[in-house]
Order: sequence, then C-alpha cells, then structure tokens
Amino acid sequence: MSTSTTATDVVAPEGAATPAAALAAQTRGLRKLYGRTVAVDHVDLDVPEGAVLGMLGPNGSGKTTTIRMLLGLVRPTAGTVSLLGHAVPEHAGHALPDVGALVEGPGFHPFLSGRENLLRMAAAEPRLATGDIPHAVGEALERVGLAAAANRRYRGYSLGMKQRLGLAGALLVPRRMVVLDEPTNGLDPAGTREVRTIISELHAAGVTVLVSSHLLAEVEATCTHVAVLHAGSVVAQGELAELLESGSPALLVSTTDGTAAMEALRASRIPSRLAPEGVRVDLTACTPPEVIAALVHAGVDVHEARRARTGLEDLFARLTQEPDEEDGS
Amino acid sequence: MNPKKRAVTVAVAGTAAGAIGLGIMAMPAGAGEAPELPSVSAQELVESVLKADPPALSGNVAIDNDLGLPAMPGMAMLNVESARVYHDGDHASRIALEQNGSEVTLVQNGGTAWSYDAADNTATKTTLPENAERKHKAAGQDELADPSSAAATMLDYVRQSSTVAVDGTATVADRAAYELVLTPKPTERTLLREVRIAVDAENRLPLRMSVLTNGTTEPALQIGFTDIDFGPQPADLFEFSPPQGAEVTDSQPRNKPEQLPDKPAGEVTGEGWDSVYVGSVPPETLDRRPDSDGPDARGLLDQFGTRVQGEFGSGYVVSTKVGTALITDDGRFAVGAVPQQVLTEALGTR
Amino acid sequence: MTDATTTLAPAPVARRSHATLGRLVRAELRWIYRRPRTLVVLGLLAAIPVIVGIALTFVGSAGPGGGGGDGASLLATAAGNALVLPIATLAMALNLLLPLSAAMSGSDALAGETAHGTLRGWLLAPVSRGRLLLVKSLGVATFALSAVLVMAATGVLTGFVLNGTDGLVTLSGSTLSLPAALLKVAIAAGWVALQLWAIGAVALAISAWTEHPMVVLASVLGGVIVFSVLQLLDALEWLHPFLLNDSWLALGDVLRDPMPTGGLAEGALRAACYIVIALSIAYAKLSTKDG
Repeated sequence: MSTSTTATDVVAPEGAATPAAALAAQTRGLRKLYGRTVAVDHVDLDVPEGAVLGMLGPNGSGKTTTIRMLLGLVRPTAGTVSLLGHAVPEHAGHALPDVGALVEGPGFHPFLSGRENLLRMAAAEPRLATGDIPHAVGEALERVGLAAAANRRYRGYSLGMKQRLGLAGALLVPRRMVVLDEPTNGLDPAGTREVRTIISELHAAGVTVLVSSHLLAEVEATCTHVAVLHAGSVVAQGELAELLESGSPALLVSTTDGTAAMEALRASRIPSRLAPEGVRVDLTACTPPEVIAALVHAGVDVHEARRARTGLEDLFARLTQEPDEEDGS
Repeated sequence: MNPKKRAVTVAVAGTAAGAIGLGIMAMPAGAGEAPELPSVSAQELVESVLKADPPALSGNVAIDNDLGLPAMPGMAMLNVESARVYHDGDHASRIALEQNGSEVTLVQNGGTAWSYDAADNTATKTTLPENAERKHKAAGQDELADPSSAAATMLDYVRQSSTVAVDGTATVADRAAYELVLTPKPTERTLLREVRIAVDAENRLPLRMSVLTNGTTEPALQIGFTDIDFGPQPADLFEFSPPQGAEVTDSQPRNKPEQLPDKPAGEVTGEGWDSVYVGSVPPETLDRRPDSDGPDARGLLDQFGTRVQGEFGSGYVVSTKVGTALITDDGRFAVGAVPQQVLTEALGTR
Repeated sequence: MTDATTTLAPAPVARRSHATLGRLVRAELRWIYRRPRTLVVLGLLAAIPVIVGIALTFVGSAGPGGGGGDGASLLATAAGNALVLPIATLAMALNLLLPLSAAMSGSDALAGETAHGTLRGWLLAPVSRGRLLLVKSLGVATFALSAVLVMAATGVLTGFVLNGTDGLVTLSGSTLSLPAALLKVAIAAGWVALQLWAIGAVALAISAWTEHPMVVLASVLGGVIVFSVLQLLDALEWLHPFLLNDSWLALGDVLRDPMPTGGLAEGALRAACYIVIALSIAYAKLSTKDG
C-alpha cells in the first residue's frame, strides 16, 4: 500500500480543527485490518458537537469502516473511539440509544410493509416506551414522506423509497447524533433536496450530524465541517470555510493597471499572476496587509482586495489525487 | 475481560461441559470396579441359586448378539435387542420384547398366558392346563426338596465335562454379583471357551449369562440385566385384556411351537460340550420358501453357506462363532457348538 | 417533511439502556409468524399426519415384513390406532423434515438477517449481542415447538376423525383412556421439540458464522445425512453415543406401556448437551462478530 504512506504526508491543513469545541465523537489512532488488508489506518477524527460533518472520500477510502467502528459495529484492530462521551465498543450501549444511524444502505425485510419494518426496528429502541411506538413510527414515516406508502410491502419499494425508510429508521427517536452513510444514494434530485432539508432541520435543533458521501456538492451544501478520507486515512479535516480558504491561500486584487501591480509585487518578492478577475496574489509567504502596503507604496490603485475561495472540488482533488500523481512520476 | 477472551472462554467452557456430558453418557453402564464380596464356593453358590425364589422385580434385559450370524430375512424374532421384564415374585410375569418400532408382549398370570404382537395387532391366549402347573411344581419340589443335594447332583453332572468355579465378582446393572464360570475340559472339542453366569450377591438371582468363544475377548452372546429394581410391582401389569380390534386366537398348549410344517426328527449324539444334534428333513424342504417373498432355503444356503463334500456326501456348512451347522443335499443335518469336523464325524456315524 | 422541532424536542422517556426482553421477543415472534415461508412450512407439516392417516386407512397398511426404518414399522400399526398416528408421523418427520424446519428457522434468525442488513438495525438500537442471541434462541425454539405441536395436533385430530376416540392401543396391547393417550402424545411432542431445539441451536451456531442462509441449511441437511450413515456403521459404535440421533428410536418407547424412560432420558440429556455446546459457540462468535 504505497499510497497510504504518501497520503499521510499530505495532512497539511490539519491544524484547522478547533480543539476548544466539545466533541460529540472522537477517534484516535483508529486502525482496522481485514486479514492483511488495511481498511483504515491512523484515523483521528473529531466530530464537534452540533456540527454537520461531511465525511468525504472516494469509494473504498474507509468511510464506512470508520463509521462502523464509530458505532461499535466493528471492533478496531487498534485505537480508541469515544461516542457522546462513552468509550466504544465497550460502552456502546450507553451511547447508541441517542444515536440514529443509517449504515451501508437500508436493511429491511422484503415481506413486511414499511410500517411493519419500522415497528420491528422500534421495538428495540430503548428510548421508546412501548405505547409510543406506533406514534413514533407514524411520525418518522411522515417525516421522510413515506406515509402514503407505509402499508405497502418493502419488496415493492423503489430505491429512493428504501433509502427514505432507512432514514426514517434513524429518526425514530429524538437523537443527539445522527450518522448517515451515503444518505442520498439512489435518490432523485427532489429526494436529495429533502435529505438536505432534514439535515438542516437536525442541525437547527442542535443535533450533531455525521454524513458520509462521495458527492462533493451535497457536502458543500449541507456541512459545517469536513473530513476528507483517502486510502484509509484522514488527509484533512476542519470547518468547511477554513478548509476552503486554507486550501490555496490567495488574495484577489482588482486594479486598473494589472501590469504595474505585478511589477510592484515582484519588487517586493511577492509571487502573483494575472487572472481573469484581477491579480491573484499567493498568500503562502505573506499577509494581505503586506500585499496592500506594497501596492499602495508603489502607487497602484487598489479598487478591491478579497480572499480567493477554492471550491471543495479543487481541494478534494488536490488532497486525494496528488499522491497518485506522485506515484506516477 | 477482553471480549475476545471472554468469547473464547465461553466457547471452551460450554463445549467442554457439553462434551463431558456426552462422554458420561457414552461410558458403558455398570462398568464399575469388581465389588468386594465374601468368598463362596461354587457348590454354595449353585445351591443358593436353586434355593432362592425370584423376588418381585422389574428390569431391562439386553441381548448382545455377536454370534456372527449372517443377516437372513425371516429372522425378525432374533432381532430383539432388549426386553423389559416384570415379575411379581409369585407366579405372574410380563415380558416386553422390544423390536424397532414394535413390540411383542408376553403376559403370564397363573394359568393364563397372553402374547400380543403389535406389528400385526394379534393376541394369542393360551390356557395352561392346571395340572401342568401343579405337576411342574410338584416335580420341582421333589427335585429341590433338598437344594444342597440337588446342587451337588447338578454339579457332579456338569463337572464330568467342565470345570466349575467362582471366578471373582462383577457389577451387573449396578448390583454386586458373583461370577460362576463353566469352562469345558480340555478334552471337549468345542468352539466355546467358557460360559459365565453372574449371580446377584444378595438375591442370588442370575443377572447375566455370557458365552465366550475361542479367540475372542468379547462375548459372542450375552443376555443380562442392564438395570433391575427389586420391589413389588403394580398388579395391573400382569393383567391383559386384548385391545379392541385385535385378532384374538385361543390356543391349546403344545409341547413345542411348530415352526416348520415338517418337523425335523433327530437325536443328540455325544455328551457335554461337544454334543451334536443330528437329524434329517425331507429334501424338498430345501426348495420351499420360508417367506412368500423370500428366496428358498437352498438360495439362502448358497448365499450364506459354504459348499462342502465328504464321506457324508455333499452339502452346505454354515459357521458362526458359537456353533456350526451342516446340511447335506439329501436332507440330513447336524448342529452343535463344535467345529465342522465333529459334525462330519457325527454324520458319518449314522 | 413536517416541522422538525416537534419531533426533536427532548423526550421525557425513561433513560433505559435497552428495550425490555418481552418486547423484543414479541417483535421477533411477530416477524417469524408473519413470514410467508414460516406459514408454508407449518402448513406442510400439518398436512403430513393427515395424508399419512388417510393413506393408511384407505390404501391399507404398508404390508408386513417391510421393516424399513423406525417410522415405517411404527406406521404399520398406525392405521387402526389414533394414538400411534401423531407419534409415528413425528418419528418419521424427525428424520428429515423437522430438522430442516428447525434449521430454516435458525438460518433466518442470524444469517438471513445479516444478509438483509436487518441485524444491524437491532445492534444499533442497541440490543446487546447476548440479548440478541437469547431473543433469537427463544424465537427458534418457539418455532420448533409450534412445528411439533401443529403436527401432533393434526395427527390427533386425523386419528379422531378416522377412527374415533376408541382404540387408543399401545404397542404393549393395553388400551388407554383419552387423557392418558393425549399425555403420551404430549410427552412425545415435548421430547421431539427438545431434539429440534438442539438442532436449532446448532443451526444458530452455524448461522452466526455465515451470512448465507443456504450454508446453514446445507450444513444441517448434510449433518443429518452423515449422522444417519454413521449410525449404520457398527465399526463406529464408540462414536454413536455422541451423535444426537442415537436415541431418536427411543421415541417409540412412548407408545409402550409401561413406558421405559431410559432411552428417552438419555436422548433428552444428549439434546441438552448439544444445546449447551452450540449456544456457547454461537455466543462466542456473535459477541465478537462484526456487525
């Protein structure tokens, strides 16, 4: 596994995490071997309380394995997991009642209706009183828009309906944390929008959400935090905004005379280049005030100076593809 | 505890507990150590057996048959593996012969004997002639008026051909027992090595008989109690009324049940262990089928016997561990617990 | 999508860390008996005594001398005997059909649920692995018991319909009263259920090791066949007491009067040993298994 060794080198923007915030979940040194295959290695994941953390990574990057270890379904080969303050898997029983999860796709019995499937699931929920079960099930079905199809057999559900039923299972009980593994798989655009709505509702209610996806737009649209997994390791994590900025720090300067600006910056040994929207100044070695000062000192008109934002896509591509390119060279 | 360790512990402990349980069941019952009993002479032992009345009991009798008999059709009656025996201590008894999935029940109470076969739902009632019982009793009382002299007479007779000794003790059906052993004298030409009879130390009831043959350590034939309880038995065990729908036949007692229409006529030659029963049957018998759907007797002999020839002519010989049978093509036969040579001699003398 | 705040308000529910056992068992049983396959199997088992009873009555007995297995010769006496029919059909079905039914239940319980991804739902609820095995064992045991009871019940009813309540004759030729006959059928059913629990426990243990229900079914089917063959080999007599089916012929003892208890007790103990072994292995695997 040559990529895993190089991947660890890329953990550049790690410092972006905010250790001050309380963590809903935390993993340290997580490692899982299946036989000799390393599924996950050195995963130190922080899920701040109240955050919507998007777990990004290509297929096979270890997202699902990490989630399964986080929930106590899989015992790590090495490392520790803490979920809502309880050690997992040792005391998973104390944490899991407050965690709703949809892992590895929805799992239901084809010969039962959607409602019967949820009733069976709800019977095992510690937080539900026996008398409240039918009501809770009805509400969860309503919430994911399955009320009309509730009494149809699961066998006849479309992929999207199955996914919604799985989501309903995670929302049977008011949770402190909700873990959704690829929740929009198989959903049409309308369904995807509904999932986003549910996530933002959960977020608004203060619920911590961990959502894994390989769809960048989905994560960018819904998440406050991001963790990027590649080849079994976390290559970057932190607040979405910070990560995007730290991705490639640059300042965009609008000016009437681009050439003059470039010359002035070159004189001050600040790297820059002309971009369609103005002069793009690399901030790796200097700060914005220094840039502005250098320009003003040289008498260049500065109309506007603002931070350049990289898209998540750029960041993701850089984090997950660079090692392969290095390998190739 | 580490969950993996706990899992392994549970698995090992559970498997061990279960395996030990199975192992205990697999251990042969009553294989205890030889009990310590006061020593007794063969004559005293035989005497006490003759003197003792069988007490009320219920028990299981197992028949272990390692005779080396070929598996022949039409021998279902020999297929009995165990029997349950009940006795009221007086003159009523019940025997249930267990066959796979069926049963033959024999109930005898005083002068009436019933036999019921569940396989074909038939019951047979036999009224024993009153005098027969009385005669039997009278004769018995005569003979056994003095058990010690009866024992002496019996032993004298047996000792002409055998060595009789009490050879240690044994545990049979959880009861302490003496082992009476009859060994043929070296001059006896027989396949048998010894006959052992285990006698209950307390009740002096024979509990087990084993027949051992030359060259083997396991008994060729063993009939004995696997468990036995002494004590009064419920009276209704010894009552029998045929079930509704059963085919009931009344039969008069006969000296011997007739198995074959053509009764073989014959006589015993020789004495002791190498006695041979010699006789003849009409040769046609060999061609008759014992079962309507079975092969004829000659076919069976072809299958299980060995073709032999000698002074007696030609015929088949069937050998088992405890005995040999020889039947000639003209219908003469000889049977005994002896090697084949003794049979040919017996036939030759005729 | 409805208003989020109503459902997300903190619920004033007892902070239990697990759902009650009764609730889990009820949910499990509802799942078992809602399953079409379960009902089909129970229906087929229920039909066996009816078919056998009718066949024996109208076609005549199997004929003497056909001393095949235990079931066959028991059946020879079943035609006129309403007591024998349920017990004989149980003895017959114990050789293959009932073990397969128990195996089916055991294979669905863990392997089938793993394959559907539904086991994860309960593990995440959470249901601890030990309770999960307990609930699953109770489910399999209940199904096995119901399979036996269904057969016994239709056997008794068929006997009554065909032959009335008279003629409840044992193998020993004694005639039983109706309650005594029903007691004997109940003893036989209970004993057969115990044997099936042993098979169900073994199926659960295999079920914990695989996620393919067919593997469980094939293993139990193979085991039943291999055990029957081993029983036929006299050279392996030392092994026989370790085989579960060693005392299955003792079921016929129920029909004897007085009833010999030795073989039945031994068979019950043997089944108990199998249950202990199988459940401990099942627990060991399930408690360390990845969910």
